[in-house]
Amino acid sequence: MSEGELATPFRERAGRAMRDTFLQEALGIATTKFIGLRREAFADFPEGDALRDRARAIKEAMLQRLDEHLERLAASVERLGGRVHYATTPEEARAIVLDIARRAGARTAVKSKSMASEEILLNEALEAAGVTPVETDLGEYIIQLAHERPSHIIAPAIHKTKGQVAELFARELKRRVAADPEALTQVARAELREKFLKADLGITGANFAVAETGTVVLVTNEGNGRMVTSLPRVHVAIMGVEKVVPSMTDLMIFLAILARSATGQKLSVYTTLVQGPRRAGELEGPDEFHLVLLDNGRIGELAGPLREALYCLRCGACLNVCPVYRQIGGHAYGHTYPGPIGILLTAMLSGPAAVRDLAHASSLCGACVDACPVRIDIPRMLLGLRRELDERRLAPWGERIAFGLLARLLARPRLYRLAARVGRLLQRPFARDGAVRGLPLALGNWTQRRDLPVIAPRTFQERWAALRREDRR
Amino acid sequence: MTTQADFLARIRTEMRKTRGLFAAATAPRPAAPRAEAEAIRRELAPRWPETLERFRREFERVGGVFHRVAALGDVPHLVAGLAREREARRVVAWHAAALGADLAAALTARGLDVLAMPAGELGDEAERRALRARIAEAELGLTGVDLAVAETGTLVVRSGAGRPRSTSLLPSYHVAVFDRSVLVESLRQVGVLLEAWHAPDAPPAGAVTSFITGPSRTADIELTLTRGVHGPKEVHAVFVNADIRG
Ligand code: SF4
Repeated sequence: MSEGELATPFRERAGRAMRDTFLQEALGIATTKFIGLRREAFADFPEGDALRDRARAIKEAMLQRLDEHLERLAASVERLGGRVHYATTPEEARAIVLDIARRAGARTAVKSKSMASEEILLNEALEAAGVTPVETDLGEYIIQLAHERPSHIIAPAIHKTKGQVAELFARELKRRVAADPEALTQVARAELREKFLKADLGITGANFAVAETGTVVLVTNEGNGRMVTSLPRVHVAIMGVEKVVPSMTDLMIFLAILARSATGQKLSVYTTLVQGPRRAGELEGPDEFHLVLLDNGRIGELAGPLREALYCLRCGACLNVCPVYRQIGGHAYGHTYPGPIGILLTAMLSGPAAVRDLAHASSLCGACVDACPVRIDIPRMLLGLRRELDERRLAPWGERIAFGLLARLLARPRLYRLAARVGRLLQRPFARDGAVRGLPLALGNWTQRRDLPVIAPRTFQERWAALRREDRR
Repeated sequence: MTTQADFLARIRTEMRKTRGLFAAATAPRPAAPRAEAEAIRRELAPRWPETLERFRREFERVGGVFHRVAALGDVPHLVAGLAREREARRVVAWHAAALGADLAAALTARGLDVLAMPAGELGDEAERRALRARIAEAELGLTGVDLAVAETGTLVVRSGAGRPRSTSLLPSYHVAVFDRSVLVESLRQVGVLLEAWHAPDAPPAGAVTSFITGPSRTADIELTLTRGVHGPKEVHAVFVNADIRG
């Protein structure tokens, strides 16, 4: 996300998204479709619930022995002839990848969709170093050509129409193509095929890494994960430390729920298990394999309030069901990871101050917990974040004053009763159809898009007292 | 530069601060994976027809095309037919030993331009590049199968000598030949087999295991399902009724 974009306040970014009628329609269709597919996938999968519990337990067990699992993973990768690198910060991760690229004399790097590389802003760094990064996931390719950012973890270009894509291809690739997804896909296939065969460096993320065997696991539908790990001479996989799983047995449990949660498929089309560099007798596969283990705020949360967010599989299910995400889409969040889990991950990566406004971009309805394959309690952590922001005086001052006053009022019965009486008088000019509307000044922000119920003509306490009097009679 | 020691030390420091964690365990692994894998195969053997039927249903559901032939000798005829209908002529095939039989001659006799993969160690980088370029030009890739998973309609294919990764990836049409010995029912069973393949005493193999569940697809443009983005646009699974390896 460019600095300029982030300089726009969240409220404005969200407002812009809500006025974009195409985006609104696309978001509605996409999220509704994903929700339906996910529901169907779990409906005829009776063992699904038990598997979700087991997957959650495995994640927790993995975090409790994270040091051992990472040590084993590193030993396995090295035994296979691969190299393991350790990056505490995004700068360090970028430096590691750039160094590998430089040694390999790479001019072009083909990339399979990787949130970790987005997170460390790798593409900008590669370009600055004279290496052209090429995103090969179709959606990512489209937004890279358009110099934009992904709007959904699973469907990065859902905000674009086929007409816009056709115009984009005409402008950037000098290819006139009909605004037809099939034809557009074929053009991208041909363009990218050439890049795959020529690139010196392949960069991927990792959906999982199996400690026992040193296997990096990539899940794609298009096959770009296979291309990137087979054709270039050097392969670099970048992964957050929490992606390690102990064994192949554990891996299969995650695979059984991941695609079902993301797209409703039983498995994605390609699950690729890559175990180090090319072996003797193999025609393809890289000479060099590098694994970059990324901290970037994760390790600091091992004992922190956001620990549970480290379970996340990045399936996107919580985005689709989130009433806020469904209204504003991914860009409005303004960071690499959108949606409810994105707020927590942003706080993890960049500190709580980065989500001052975003911490409130949730209705706390809990739909995300129900959809999450590993049942991450996102609302609990969002509430914790809001509290922390308030305690550390990071929340906007207006909000702190308003809630501070409310807290005092609620703790003092007399004052509260008085306030109710005053409020009843003051609300008169604004009360219509049972709601308070069009309040003046800053208060108007609240009533503009919400129904604020009118203060009842008699408070509960007044009614209670009246009832008791009647009773006694 | 962060070293492994620094990195792990920081993790350990943070881990020591955690409180009130709930007891959690990873999945119990098979104690003797290779023996258990054998047991699964024995147990599955008598009910292979049901497993095959479920595989067919799931494979077709994900957009695969299922075929059934009596013997391996019928495969060239089938492949030639598929190629003709698609105006494809260039075929790349796994090495005979990896495929279970030498089909190159029979395919060539049917007018196809067949390139069978070499069995073992390849020459230098230039030679490998040349061979790979020829695979990239082929329209049809002919491979074997290491596992056919009924639960998901998935073909599991391992790379290795004589079985390059790109044979099931670069050509537009992938034809995979299998018999009852590779059928398994569930992802859980696949887990046991994967453990067995990685056991210390397991025979060596290539570096990549690919799970292929239907043709390459995307829905990235307006959520319209489109086939053949980077990988094959068609995947054919050919079941051979007789045991391929006799
Ligand atoms: S929090 Fe759960 S639902 Fe959301 S992306 Fe992560 S794993 Fe998926």
